[in-house]
Amino acid sequence: MYGIGIIKGMGVTIKHLIDSFVDDMRFLGRRYYSDESLNIRQGTEGRGVFTVQYPDEKLPVPEQFRFIPFLLYETDDDGNKTDRCTSCGICAKVCPPQCIWIERSSDPETGRPIPAPTNFFIDIDICMNCGYCAEYCPFDAIKMDHDYELASYDRTEAHIFDKERLDKPVEYYASIRPNDYLVEENARAEEAAKKAAKKEAAAAKKAAKLAAKQASEQAAAD
Amino acid sequence: MNDELSNPDIPVPDELQSTVTITSLDKIYNWGRRSSIWPMVFGLACCAIEMICTAASRFDIARFGMEVFRATPRQADLMIVSGTVTKKMVPQIVRLFNQMPEPKYVMAMGACASGGGPFKEGYNVVSGIDKFVPVDVYVPGCPPTPQALLHGLMKLQEKIDGQSLKSVRWYGQEASEAVPVPVLGPDLLDPRQHALLAQQAGQMPVNVDIEKDL
Repeated sequence: MYGIGIIKGMGVTIKHLIDSFVDDMRFLGRRYYSDESLNIRQGTEGRGVFTVQYPDEKLPVPEQFRFIPFLLYETDDDGNKTDRCTSCGICAKVCPPQCIWIERSSDPETGRPIPAPTNFFIDIDICMNCGYCAEYCPFDAIKMDHDYELASYDRTEAHIFDKERLDKPVEYYASIRPNDYLVEENARAEEAAKKAAKKEAAAAKKAAKLAAKQASEQAAAD
Repeated sequence: MNDELSNPDIPVPDELQSTVTITSLDKIYNWGRRSSIWPMVFGLACCAIEMICTAASRFDIARFGMEVFRATPRQADLMIVSGTVTKKMVPQIVRLFNQMPEPKYVMAMGACASGGGPFKEGYNVVSGIDKFVPVDVYVPGCPPTPQALLHGLMKLQEKIDGQSLKSVRWYGQEASEAVPVPVLGPDLLDPRQHALLAQQAGQMPVNVDIEKDL
């Protein structure tokens, strides 16, 4: 008999239609507009309608999601902000589409360079979200953001992000990428511990040497 | 009645609240237009894949009344320039833009269409479609996720909401001018002419005409 395939296919469509109503009943009033219900609808349990009702509910982004870099600053107890960036320019060098522009600062008296940028520009209409800058930064000062709602009417001003726009606290980074943050903090602590141990060992060696020298001098005097 | 349409400046008596609503012509005109923006079927590169995803059921552009992708510029309101604009494609894009009836809007989707992206200094790619047609909304990203594109479309809706019948260009006295179609010409740099170009570089005017630049 002809047409069985068509009937089967339409049956699938009808099943989805009915499922959407059954699901509505099952999660009466709790089906839309919350992260929990969105996860259920997007997961393996989800049946029927799985549309993301975008402005009201947003698909959670994975931790490694990359969108337009931002700069990290640390806030000390007095509320002073210090950028992690040292304006070394590695990110600007590795950037494939060359969208980073750094203005270095120098001491007004001596004219020597200061390891902090005066300004930092990223043209977000050039950036291709590859994440090389974050990958290569030796100071963990530039990281990829999760905020993708950046559309605007103007390209020349709104879409050239300056330092003020790019700066975000370390806590924000810890909140969007908790795992990465932990790994980095652990690595940093390990590095610091290693450095301290090395210093201690050097000091001990020096002391031992001094003691040996004194002992030999003593022996010579005797 | 729809709350966003009603005009709070003119009070309606309580007994008529459920039956009467007062709005302005601008509001209802813009509401109608922004709820039925028909984009043109128009994909240039990888951004088009995200645009297709936006139109499919998971993100469902139909929720904004934009699901009718029109295959002809005559019926389209919005041109989503989704992807890398090559120099060979620019004349066709500008011609399509000219063929669209007013009111028409252009969205530059993704890094390439907005500013050239990674190809911004390429020999064969235009560094931004905004040099050829007026762009209303820029959506950054490489490519923008479907949600970022929807955010851009919502921005466009906001822009439409802000327009007024009194000032829109398509009801003005003068006929709208067509955007000049760029001509595909010789390349920017011909290696055989390096010496000549270097010689001429000193006499060149600062603002080079875009059409000649191609």
